[in-house]
Amino acid sequence: MSEQQLQRIRKWKRNQLLLFLILLAGLSIWSAFGTGFSLPALWGGFGDGAQFVFVDLMPPDFSGLADLIGPALDTIYMSFAAMFVGSLIAGALSIFAAATTSPHPALQIGLRAFSAMFRNIPVIIWTILLVASFGLGNLVGTLSLLIVSIGMLVRCFAESLEEIDMGQVEALRAAGASYWQVIGQAVLPQFLPSFIGWSLYNLEINVRASTIVGMVGGGGLGFAIQSGIKLFQYKDVSMAVILVLVIVLATEFLTNRIRGRII
Amino acid sequence: MALMKVEGLRKVYADGTVGLEGIDFTVEAGEFIAVIGPSGAGKSTLLRCLNRMVEPTEGSIAFQGDETIGAKGRKLRRIRREMSMIFQGFNLVERVSVLTNVLHGRLGYMSSWKGALGLFAKSDIAEARRLLARVGLQEQTHKRADELSGGQQQRVGIARALAQQPKLILADEPIASLDPAASETVMSSLHRFCSEDGIACLCNLHQVDMAKKYASRIIGIHKGRKVFDGTPEELTDEMIHLIYNKAPQESVRPNDEPADTARKETA
Repeated sequence: MSEQQLQRIRKWKRNQLLLFLILLAGLSIWSAFGTGFSLPALWGGFGDGAQFVFVDLMPPDFSGLADLIGPALDTIYMSFAAMFVGSLIAGALSIFAAATTSPHPALQIGLRAFSAMFRNIPVIIWTILLVASFGLGNLVGTLSLLIVSIGMLVRCFAESLEEIDMGQVEALRAAGASYWQVIGQAVLPQFLPSFIGWSLYNLEINVRASTIVGMVGGGGLGFAIQSGIKLFQYKDVSMAVILVLVIVLATEFLTNRIRGRII
Repeated sequence: MALMKVEGLRKVYADGTVGLEGIDFTVEAGEFIAVIGPSGAGKSTLLRCLNRMVEPTEGSIAFQGDETIGAKGRKLRRIRREMSMIFQGFNLVERVSVLTNVLHGRLGYMSSWKGALGLFAKSDIAEARRLLARVGLQEQTHKRADELSGGQQQRVGIARALAQQPKLILADEPIASLDPAASETVMSSLHRFCSEDGIACLCNLHQVDMAKKYASRIIGIHKGRKVFDGTPEELTDEMIHLIYNKAPQESVRPNDEPADTARKETA
């Protein structure tokens, strides 16, 4: 490569960066005007917000706790089932969706598109669609979480698979290993830590998302919150919100511990 | 009949870079051949064409009388299992045990699903243990592969190669990432096992002294062409100079040369 070519590349890279910064600044200004964003308005909303939080929601009604245990457990079941089934399905699909392990590029592109559709339609839309066909309840909640979990996990798994050390794959292929032998013996051992890591992260996301899913008819704590709001039982609502918080934090704590152990 | 007969082997990469420019040689059973040449000369490409990890553009490679070019599926697996490969970066599966890594040498002999699930035969496991004892790593059998030192990992690599019960070992810079002491151990054990078991070996090296010490024959490669093929005694200092520098007007254009390690290609 000549000195001239190098210089051209360097100049192009510099221009690229400049263009990116201009674009970023432009977008920020445009969106600020578009949304009518202003700091004073932000401040003005504080009063009403504080009124709602401290007068309507407080104190939480602990006597309602017993009735919320069932929905809380539902939330945990739904999240866990969606994660468990989702990671198994996504694990199998991602092998065909990663450039390093896919037997055919067409399969790879097809699966990527399919999983993009799953994950890019928000979970709340999936729930609304599924409620129309299956009615209210935990099944719908689990199914919607499952769909979005598969969408997210296929992508995360495929990207982890694309980062594996191909030297190990090469070694086994050179020894005469078949496609499935390479997958089982060289790819899986490298993939396992990220498989577990992403699945646990997916569990956290599911626990958070299950609240939203519940609000549109997917069961669990979200459903309890939604009912409470409709009946103006804000003290019950705050109790349920606290439970959500506890479950989310507990899941995060637990998954962090497990991750630390395994990886 | 020669163990391997290579004729008119050419490799042109997709971007037009010429890796090999017509190589001919034969390998007799049990020969220990060192392949020397400057970085980017095509040594790695040559070895990877032989076991079809890189797809040759032209030429013929007969291994035990069978043409390897064009072989697919089961036939390709059968060719590869008798032609072990040892790598510069060891390429052990790091997260599994040393024993399992040696057993990977048996995959070419197993049914696809048994191999995929790691259901190795008792006799294979016993053989793998014996091989680990042979390379002096009996105590490391159940350690994870990445807990071992570089020299130890390469000895596992040798054990894995031997587990294939090969006729030929392709060693791609087996000591380039090792310190001098480990290099000595690895080269001497590789040489010893090959001569004990009557395995032929093609070994890429960039240490000329190592090549002279161990090889029964030396092939010199320069810019994808074979420029020397003879005994270590015939490899004079002038010859070495020729292999590594060739004519001065050709030599100093480093950016035009292909990368040292063969590009990854799906073969």
